[in-house]
Amino acid sequence: MEESPLHPFELHELIPISLFGLDISINKAVILMWIVVGLAAALLVIGGSARKMVPTKLQSLAEILVDFIRGIILDTMGKDGMKFFPLVATLFVFILFSNLLGLIPGSYTVTSQIIVTAVFAVSVYALSVALGFMLHGIKFLGILVPPGTPGWLLPLMIPIELVSQLARPVSLAVRLFANMTAGHTILGVLFGLAIGGGLLIGWLPFAFTIAMNGLEVGIAFIQAYIFTVLSCVYLGDAVTLHGHGDAHAH
Amino acid sequence: MPQFESHFFSSLMFWEVVSFAILLWILAKYAFPPILETLEARERKIRESLEQADRHRAEAERKMQEYEAKLAAASKEAEALFVAARERAQRVQEENEQRLQADAERIKGDAQREIDAERRKAIQDIRNQTTDLALLVAEKVVGRSLNDADHRRLADEALAAAAKQFQKN
Repeated sequence: MEESPLHPFELHELIPISLFGLDISINKAVILMWIVVGLAAALLVIGGSARKMVPTKLQSLAEILVDFIRGIILDTMGKDGMKFFPLVATLFVFILFSNLLGLIPGSYTVTSQIIVTAVFAVSVYALSVALGFMLHGIKFLGILVPPGTPGWLLPLMIPIELVSQLARPVSLAVRLFANMTAGHTILGVLFGLAIGGGLLIGWLPFAFTIAMNGLEVGIAFIQAYIFTVLSCVYLGDAVTLHGHGDAHAH
Repeated sequence: MPQFESHFFSSLMFWEVVSFAILLWILAKYAFPPILETLEARERKIRESLEQADRHRAEAERKMQEYEAKLAAASKEAEALFVAARERAQRVQEENEQRLQADAERIKGDAQREIDAERRKAIQDIRNQTTDLALLVAEKVVGRSLNDADHRRLADEALAAAAKQFQKN
């Protein structure tokens, strides 16, 4: 049976639900979100409840995860950034688990849906802008003027910076979506080739799918990491305004 | 692409926000505080342990030096005591040897003098008895008694002759 390599991204309504006219039907991606929440919560709550000086295995895993995110925040935002820890850590955990669970054959990659990554990206960006105006007031518009820009360049710099600012949520959303989609599409194509090629030549693309799967695990981590780091950078920019190294001085 | 079918957008957005909010609430309430606390406690403990280890090592090194110094002093003292004891033992031995030798010399000298005295006495006795005996024989032979002075003179002459004769042989 020949299938489109994009077939794995198709969704089908499983349980139709409507809330005040809003369609909130359950589909595979939604179920995967629940599994992500359940697994992430179980790992971190159980791992966190051990609280031993010499950690158990699960505790170690949870602590490595938390320590990793703490490192990202301290590197990009400094000690003050720790107030964003729950948000940033949950974001990382949600994306990481979504990416990884999507690699299991037959499951679904939540983050391969552009709307899902867009909601995260736009929310984070909107939060950073709101935070910037709350902390710095109208001076936050200064983020459109890189420090040291001569006055006569302002008409040029402001539009450029405006575009770069607006590109932030778009690139954030598209990067994660595209990476997750591309990986699975390649896997789909290779599987198609493996099945189509038969025993004589089909083993070659099949071997590639195995290698690709390994690569995809790495990409799952890297994309979750990139999304989290960029979120921290945007939030940090809003807090420190140009980030005059204040954040890094801590 | 199936991902751009806007038909599913509303349900995906809704459930994403709900799921994320639930996860954020659970983790922020039950997972992150204890994990962060444990991490900080462990960091604190490691730092304290390292500092303590440093302190202990410094103390151990100081004590070690102290003990080494003490040991060196004790060793020196023992050496000195040993040398002194050996010298004393040698001196005592030498004294003993000297005293014993002196004692032996004295005893030997005493014995020699006693022997000499006894010999002289014995010779005198023999001489006297011999003289008496000779006088007795001579009285019998001569048939008359010579006075004592004559006796002596004659006896001495005879003895001298006898001694001469004796030495010749």
